[in-house]
Amino acid sequence: MSRSITAEEVSQIPQSGGTNYINAEQGVWSWLTTVDHKRIALMYLVSTLIAFLMGGFFALLLRFELLHPGKDLLDAKGYNQAFTLHGAVMVFLFVIPSTPAVLGNFLLPIMLGAKDVAFPKLNLLSLYLYWTGALFTLSSLVTSGLDTGWTFYVPFSTAVSDTSVIAVTFGVFILGFSSILTGLNFIVTVHKLRAPGITWYRLPLFCWGIYATSLVQVLATPVLAITLLLLIFEKVAQIGIFNPKLGGDPVLYQHFFWFYSHPAVYIMILPGMAIISDVIAVHSHRRIFGYKAIAFSSVAIALIGFLVWGHHMFTSGQSELASAIFSFLTFFVAIPSGIKVFNWTSTMWRGSIAWNTPMFYGMSFLFLFTIGGLTGLFLGTLNVDLHLHDTYFVVAHFHYVMMGGSVIAFLAGLFHWWPKMTGRMYNDSLGKLSCVIVFIGFNMTFFTQFFLGSRGMPRRYYTYLDQFQPLHAFSTYGSWVLGLGLILGLVTLLASLKSGARAPSNPWGAKSLEWETQSPPITENFKRTPLVTHGPYDYDTTEDK
Amino acid sequence: MSSATALSAEQAPSGERSPDFHVGHHWDSADSQFEAGRMGVWLFLVTEILFFGGLFCAFFVFRSWYFDSFVEAHSHLDWHMGAVNTVVLIFSSLTMALAVRSAQTNNKARTVQMLVVTLVCAAIFLVVKYFEYSHKIHDGLLPGGLFHATGFVTDHPQMFFSVYFMMTGVHGLHVVIGMGLMLWILIRANRGEFSQRYYAPVEGVGLYWHLVDLVWIYLFPLLYLVG
Amino acid sequence: MSQDAHADHTSVPHAAGHAHGAAGHAHGAAGHAHGGPDHVPHVSPLSLYLKTFGALMLLTIITVGVSRIHLGTTTNLVIAMFIATIKATVVAALFMHLLTDKRFHTVILLSSLVFLAIFISFTMFDTNSRGRAEAIEHERPHDSAKPWEIRAAKPAAVPSEAKKH
Repeated sequence: MSRSITAEEVSQIPQSGGTNYINAEQGVWSWLTTVDHKRIALMYLVSTLIAFLMGGFFALLLRFELLHPGKDLLDAKGYNQAFTLHGAVMVFLFVIPSTPAVLGNFLLPIMLGAKDVAFPKLNLLSLYLYWTGALFTLSSLVTSGLDTGWTFYVPFSTAVSDTSVIAVTFGVFILGFSSILTGLNFIVTVHKLRAPGITWYRLPLFCWGIYATSLVQVLATPVLAITLLLLIFEKVAQIGIFNPKLGGDPVLYQHFFWFYSHPAVYIMILPGMAIISDVIAVHSHRRIFGYKAIAFSSVAIALIGFLVWGHHMFTSGQSELASAIFSFLTFFVAIPSGIKVFNWTSTMWRGSIAWNTPMFYGMSFLFLFTIGGLTGLFLGTLNVDLHLHDTYFVVAHFHYVMMGGSVIAFLAGLFHWWPKMTGRMYNDSLGKLSCVIVFIGFNMTFFTQFFLGSRGMPRRYYTYLDQFQPLHAFSTYGSWVLGLGLILGLVTLLASLKSGARAPSNPWGAKSLEWETQSPPITENFKRTPLVTHGPYDYDTTEDK
Repeated sequence: MSSATALSAEQAPSGERSPDFHVGHHWDSADSQFEAGRMGVWLFLVTEILFFGGLFCAFFVFRSWYFDSFVEAHSHLDWHMGAVNTVVLIFSSLTMALAVRSAQTNNKARTVQMLVVTLVCAAIFLVVKYFEYSHKIHDGLLPGGLFHATGFVTDHPQMFFSVYFMMTGVHGLHVVIGMGLMLWILIRANRGEFSQRYYAPVEGVGLYWHLVDLVWIYLFPLLYLVG
Repeated sequence: MSQDAHADHTSVPHAAGHAHGAAGHAHGAAGHAHGGPDHVPHVSPLSLYLKTFGALMLLTIITVGVSRIHLGTTTNLVIAMFIATIKATVVAALFMHLLTDKRFHTVILLSSLVFLAIFISFTMFDTNSRGRAEAIEHERPHDSAKPWEIRAAKPAAVPSEAKKH
């Protein structure tokens, strides 16, 4: 008898046509009223990418203004609007929702062997809330904008600013509910919808990361909601909770705000780390090193992240005792992240590494996130932060972790799972080129800012001393290179939709459940509920290379 | 393993007519769906606890700073009305729990009755609240910058009223929302949609309502009693 | 997997104290269209609910009563919170069925309280210790009319210190 085809080989055969979740039902209405998690994920993808382009536009605008001291394009008020809108749009409309709502929504049920998330209609409601919140937030673009900084600090936002504070904060309030409901949905999904054989320790690490993120979303976001509500009432009804003239405390606002916003940065990074665990393991064709350590460190980061918010307030008038406590605790939250970085690197050791686009972005993540994380330690050290707070050092740090970390990881995930989501392969060389350009542009833009900050350049200033001009100009040129790289990446992906080769169900030879179904999947994800008997990283490691 | 497609419960065997209810296609049993729904409601209650928690934080901070003002200000609250509201709310919690129990035991008439009583209790709560508020407004005991009552010897009574109005106001809003949810459940119960096999929405609304009661259980002593 | 969930609910609905329920309705009976088991509710007896209500009323009376006795501000607060917590526990365990539910639901509730406690206590670490290092920060914000004047020598600092606890 001739040799029969193996399951591995079957999974490598490009699939042609057939019904899938994209063509199952036609018409805009079927998309707008869908409860299919994959369709919802795609709609989130389009929405968040539009938000990313908008936030990016504001970034390029403000970087352009910083080419020279004094006014180039924007005056002081205009500059305040630019950095505020850049921050608010990026944080609330892109970084926080993107990975959970796009990749989490698409992949979580499939990785669990389920047909959908626990509450599909709630999922759709989350999307509607996202759009509604975005509408309120972006309405400011046609009214009076926003110039308070994405942090809406009082008393500027309540007593001084004449911009659309209430509309934007109300929009963010609604966006918060979208985030909460997504997190709630995911927690129940992971608990209740695992297919037979998928124990907690057989979950792909992507699921652990999304689960940890969901815990933070559910616990932290409500405090943002009450904070913004109090802000709105302060502005409208002068309740005075944050107003010193009436006996209130503006620093209390900061406590309220950062109790959410610090865990929020873990909402931003944990999904990214979750992606990287999978990307590195798959493209190294190697069992992940220290599975439980990575899984538990995700939960540890989520929980410890609630203890450190005061490190944003070292110079705000917070008491020295509280500052010291927060500084001490901040060092602990770095430990689980460090564990992950070591484990990811160890995973690559003696692996059979495929140097493709996802792996390029994965490597960029390792490099950039490590720098971001280490510089966070500088800032967590109380006495050092007294000099670095509100300088460009902070700006550089958080861009390294948020962009070099979360956004790069999101791109890695997008390139990694694109064949699954769309059924198309993209041009790998172009993808890799985009990554290289992004990497160079990113470092040009933001590494420079560490120097700017440590030499005293304050953040949120539209003009500056002449001595900072060369560094600022270099950073601006870097932003152009960065923008170019990102556009190239976007074009690579979009081009694949028109002319990419059809994707097989398992182009990377991975072992987790999502690769066992067709690309793109059918609406029910699987024709039969799968029975899982192996872990997600069970690569054949007996032959050491 | 069941290859479940869209499921809905058919009629039970001869004798009792069992109301139809939908089990999502991604659930392998009605039981899984129910359990998941309950977990989801509890997670939502967590968000409510953290939401109110922010206001409790503001309360404790300002009570610690302006203790004398808080003592003087809180004596202007009528604890009798607060106590009445406490009794009304706890009673409504009982009737809500009994409504759930009636649904669990297929007693449609009793379910409807209990829900109506709970709604009435909620309305009574709001009426008492209305009287309290109008009294405060009349006396100028308003939050923060709007405060214009006279005759206070301490410095910051307005901070107490800021916290008071925010806490009771947000709580009152949740009572109104609860009434809306109860009305929805009442209509469905009246249509005979609930039974021992399917009463999840009643239980879910019940859990929400108990949380509203729980918040008040803490609000009442903190605002009205402790001075 | 559904079997695990089902195992918690094999208890037969209690007949005790349950005068009204529709008689004889078969539960978990055969003939359902879907492949998995129905949810079988755990029905607590009526007497349990009524006794719980009685306990809550009693505790409310105690709360009001104790508050009329002045035992010192902290003591009064602690007692009031303690009684409120007992009431809350009773409501959560019995009215909200946590006692008979999956243990994870209790974990969910308790963890929210833990994080709320962290929020309030860490914030109060700050608000209650302002001014330890720099005397000027000792003043409440509204008192800082002229923050550039050092007020360390002012006796007014002492009464506010006593006021703080």
